[in-house]
Amino acid sequence: MAAINTRGVENWTAGRLARVATMLLIAAVFVFPIVGFIAMAFRSNAGVDAGAGGVLGLGDVSLGNVAYSWSQVNGFGPGGGGLFTRWILNSLFVAGGGAVLALIAALPAGYAMARLRFRMRRVILLTTLVTMVMPNTVLVIPLFLEVNAIGAVGRLWPVLVIMGFFPFGVYLSYIHFMTTMPRELVEAARMDGLSEVAIFYRIGLPISKQAVVLVGFFAFVANWTNFFLPLALLSSDQQNNTLSIGIQQLIGASPLFNPTVAAGLDVKLYMPQLALATFISMLPLLVVFLGAQKYLIRGETVGAVKG
Amino acid sequence: MTGEAATRSLHREVPGTRASAENPPAPGRPERAGRPWRAGGAEARGAWILTAPYLVLLLIGGIIPVGYALATAFQRPSTPLQPNGGFGSIESFRTVVTDFRFAETFLNIFTTLLVWLPIMMIGIVGLALLVHASPGRFGSTMRFVYYIPGALAGVANLVLWVYLLNPSQSPIEGFWHVVGIDTIKQAVATPNHLPFILAAMMFFQGVGSWIIVVNGGLNGIGDEVLEAASMDGANAWQVAWHVKLPIIRPWIGYAALMNLAYGFQLFLEPQLLDQVAGNALPDQWTPTQLGYAFAFSNYNFPAAAAMSLILLVITLVIGLLIVFRSGLFGEER
Repeated sequence: MAAINTRGVENWTAGRLARVATMLLIAAVFVFPIVGFIAMAFRSNAGVDAGAGGVLGLGDVSLGNVAYSWSQVNGFGPGGGGLFTRWILNSLFVAGGGAVLALIAALPAGYAMARLRFRMRRVILLTTLVTMVMPNTVLVIPLFLEVNAIGAVGRLWPVLVIMGFFPFGVYLSYIHFMTTMPRELVEAARMDGLSEVAIFYRIGLPISKQAVVLVGFFAFVANWTNFFLPLALLSSDQQNNTLSIGIQQLIGASPLFNPTVAAGLDVKLYMPQLALATFISMLPLLVVFLGAQKYLIRGETVGAVKG
Repeated sequence: MTGEAATRSLHREVPGTRASAENPPAPGRPERAGRPWRAGGAEARGAWILTAPYLVLLLIGGIIPVGYALATAFQRPSTPLQPNGGFGSIESFRTVVTDFRFAETFLNIFTTLLVWLPIMMIGIVGLALLVHASPGRFGSTMRFVYYIPGALAGVANLVLWVYLLNPSQSPIEGFWHVVGIDTIKQAVATPNHLPFILAAMMFFQGVGSWIIVVNGGLNGIGDEVLEAASMDGANAWQVAWHVKLPIIRPWIGYAALMNLAYGFQLFLEPQLLDQVAGNALPDQWTPTQLGYAFAFSNYNFPAAAAMSLILLVITLVIGLLIVFRSGLFGEER
């Protein structure tokens, strides 16, 4: 790192100027729509229609607008609404529960594959690697057929269980134990008479806070934003939707895109309301990111140093 | 989609760990030097106990559904006259492949990949090189800024793009005006627009996490290598082109294959863009949408199973290529 820093004292050559300008320009292109979109969640329908608020509508934002938009978003649904709140709870249940299950399964499995010798070890590891790099949507229809066969479509628990299958978490745990738990430590614990399972729980697990946070974080984020699985398994019961497919319903009920459906509703879901719903759906991700941030950065440093 | 953007960002740990293969960490060595392996002994028993929860989930979430899809694909679809279906041989595969939409959905994917992959790869490699050439806080800040859109995964990214694509309130309203587009329906459903829009959406969402991955690879290049190149009189361009690029080739291959596989599962974006464009797009634009339609519109489960198996085989081949050919997972062979 130190050597790289010394290269920072070069002068402002044309090449350096071009590089910095290009990078700033691209950064602006990335940030500009996001700022406008978040502002949209705080704007009024009338203001958006009139194009009020100047650049990105920033002058049109107010908390009063948010209160109104929330009443519309959470007013969606039969009998006075409240569906949106229910969807948040459903999402927390399947994404959080799925992440906990992923942790319970991934850490011991990753440890066993990294530090224990057994038949099938390579087969399990290769299966894990291959399933990890394949897009998870290709399995959704087979999963739907499986859940349908046991008559559990529309229920939340099968989604939670399926989300618990998180091969990337197993791989992360595997790498974690390969790099942090020397084999000598395992051998020493055996000499002390600890059983293989006890070695994991008494020695492996206590040094795995970083792996726990990383696996939990990535599992939660993947579950929270999963769209296709809940769509196939939960669409049939509106009460049991998750936020991701719920937002799709809100889009479908917007007068902007579906005037006929929207005309029959008590609530009006224009762009500020849709943006607010989306913004709220991202807050849990922000919270887990802030919680895991310290470990994410440390992980990155490790990767950078080791690489 | 579905958070894979975020998930992928950690893959830099893969390269990070692999790159040190020439200089393996101490724990890797006793593999060969250790005591003889007593199969079926206490060690193996402990291993099976520890992997049991994962293996159960692997069965439920991976192996059983694939097996069940295989069994389903070889059945006949149930009809009111024949509710039990029965063995249908490869009939359902024939139904899928001869469907008038089948070839078209793959053509759509290839068109999208043709537009998207080159932009994506140039973007990833170019920006990763720029970030790597920027020492200190500026480089790491830029890397973080490029990653921000990746946090808007799945539906959130879609709603953001609805905001951008709808000329009536878009912050790029002026742009839409210039190209003569007044409604979101026009923006999305004008022939040949969709591959470009999808490419833009996926680039915006995905490039940041891949910059981090490739940047991880670049950080693995020893300072002495770069210093030697500078001393030989190479300028920044030459160093990037002749030194850095060849070294990070495995990461580039890895990124290309992962993104290729990602293209085959496109569903959310075309499905929901169709919804916001007043159904002006074909309802089954991608293979995954077609499989979904077999299951949920036609209730032809055997055909849906056959379609998903076809996609499974394609992505499995790409997956095996990644694991065995990318050079990043080599330690296990």
